[in-house]
Amino acid sequence: MRKKNLFVGDVRFQFKYGFYFVYTIFTVIYASLIYVFPHSWKVKAATIMIFSDPAAMGLFFMGAIILLEKSERVLNSIAVSPVGADEYILSKVISIGFISTVVGLIIAFAADISNIPMVAFGIFVGSAFFTLVGLIIASNTKSLNQFIVSTVPIEIICFLPPIFYSFGYEKTFMLIHPGCILVRFISGNSDYLLMLTFILLIWIITVYLIAYKNIKKMLQQTGGTKL
Amino acid sequence: MIKVSDLSFSYTEEKFIQDINFEVEKGEIFGFLGPSGAGKSTLQKILTGLLRNYEGNSVVDGVESKYYKRNFYENIGVDFEFPSLYEKLTGRENLKFFGSLYSKKLRNIDEMLKMVGLQNDGEKKVCDYSKGMKSRLNFIKALLHNPEILFLDEPTSGLDPNNSRDMKNIILEEKAKGKTIILTTHNMVDAAELCDRVAFIVDGRIKALDSPHNLIMSKGAVKIKYSYYDGIEKTRECLLKKTSEDYKLKELIEKNQILSIHSSEPTLSDIFMEVTGRVLQ
Repeated sequence: MRKKNLFVGDVRFQFKYGFYFVYTIFTVIYASLIYVFPHSWKVKAATIMIFSDPAAMGLFFMGAIILLEKSERVLNSIAVSPVGADEYILSKVISIGFISTVVGLIIAFAADISNIPMVAFGIFVGSAFFTLVGLIIASNTKSLNQFIVSTVPIEIICFLPPIFYSFGYEKTFMLIHPGCILVRFISGNSDYLLMLTFILLIWIITVYLIAYKNIKKMLQQTGGTKL
Repeated sequence: MIKVSDLSFSYTEEKFIQDINFEVEKGEIFGFLGPSGAGKSTLQKILTGLLRNYEGNSVVDGVESKYYKRNFYENIGVDFEFPSLYEKLTGRENLKFFGSLYSKKLRNIDEMLKMVGLQNDGEKKVCDYSKGMKSRLNFIKALLHNPEILFLDEPTSGLDPNNSRDMKNIILEEKAKGKTIILTTHNMVDAAELCDRVAFIVDGRIKALDSPHNLIMSKGAVKIKYSYYDGIEKTRECLLKKTSEDYKLKELIEKNQILSIHSSEPTLSDIFMEVTGRVLQ
């Protein structure tokens, strides 16, 4: 019950603070752009769009969400409630994953990408991965500027290889990279599904464990442990 | 309900709080008094399980603080000094959300809002609340899940006298229900009025611990101040325990010439200053 209430609370928070509004605008812009592209470009363009925005929504929005929660000191109250770091993380991952998947699927439909279940899986898992990365960065930053600067190397590492991969550099070793696996999934490609899902799972478990450690520390130190 | 023994904690190599010993009985209001940076908040964080790498023991409701499980927090309510509320949600939405994090049956939100005079403001966004309204909402948020132990950090800070009075009455009602309350404050008037016992904390150590009355009586000297007419109105004072040595007072009493007479006790603030050498507020 608490997990459901946390999820509902996070969705309400994201709605009230305008996150849904921003993504409605992005969805309209992206879907409109897809219609402008020539048919042969549509799937590739939509894959890059979905990967770089809806799927990676958590990375960018997590900074804003956690910094807002820090500035309004609500983390203090969460820290002394029965909510555990695992529940807090899960709620963020699912709430962001939910809106990411909806937005990503609208773009996918606009581009006529086939194998929609595969696309939905790719978007949701991609969103979970980036939300966890966003949580790690956000839990260690104190201002939006610091967050933005901290995401730059992460963006380069996470986004450049998948973009090369999408534009033809399809070497097998690239599939160790979570982003390359995700763009394959998002484009509806289900070849080597089990093996690639396994690799992605290892990545997600790794970032989850790091995020868990960081969020637990953040909640314990909340309220400003200062001398 | 709470037993702290030989407690020490340090953020750096130097100990920030040390040799802290005290016990709090169930149904007691216990005050931590001290200037900013004295270690009150650190102590509260240890008791609420937010800081766990301490030395010594801090046992709350039979559980060592560093080993709290999450369900332990079902029975703890914390009112932080500064509001911890979602500004863009309404007062009612905030209470519903934070209340939903507990599995216990919640108190009636309408009654809670009415209790602190916010019955007509529940549907307003918190960002439209005044500072005092936020403090009151934050306060009832800590009570919503009916916790057995309450940690209140400067609960009357920023409130006007009427609201401050209401808040203090609610605290006393909670005590009457058997709740154990830890009050962190540097408001000596509130502490003297509300607390069964207080601990003076300075530089991470407890300098004195007793009931406000005992502290005042044991450390301070009660004086008598009287006035009489001698051409013009004059006033004199003497220590209560030395009234028999004040021959002028004796003479005035015999002649019924005293215009007024008052006893004056030192305040808790005076005692704090005497014991710690520090001034509060």
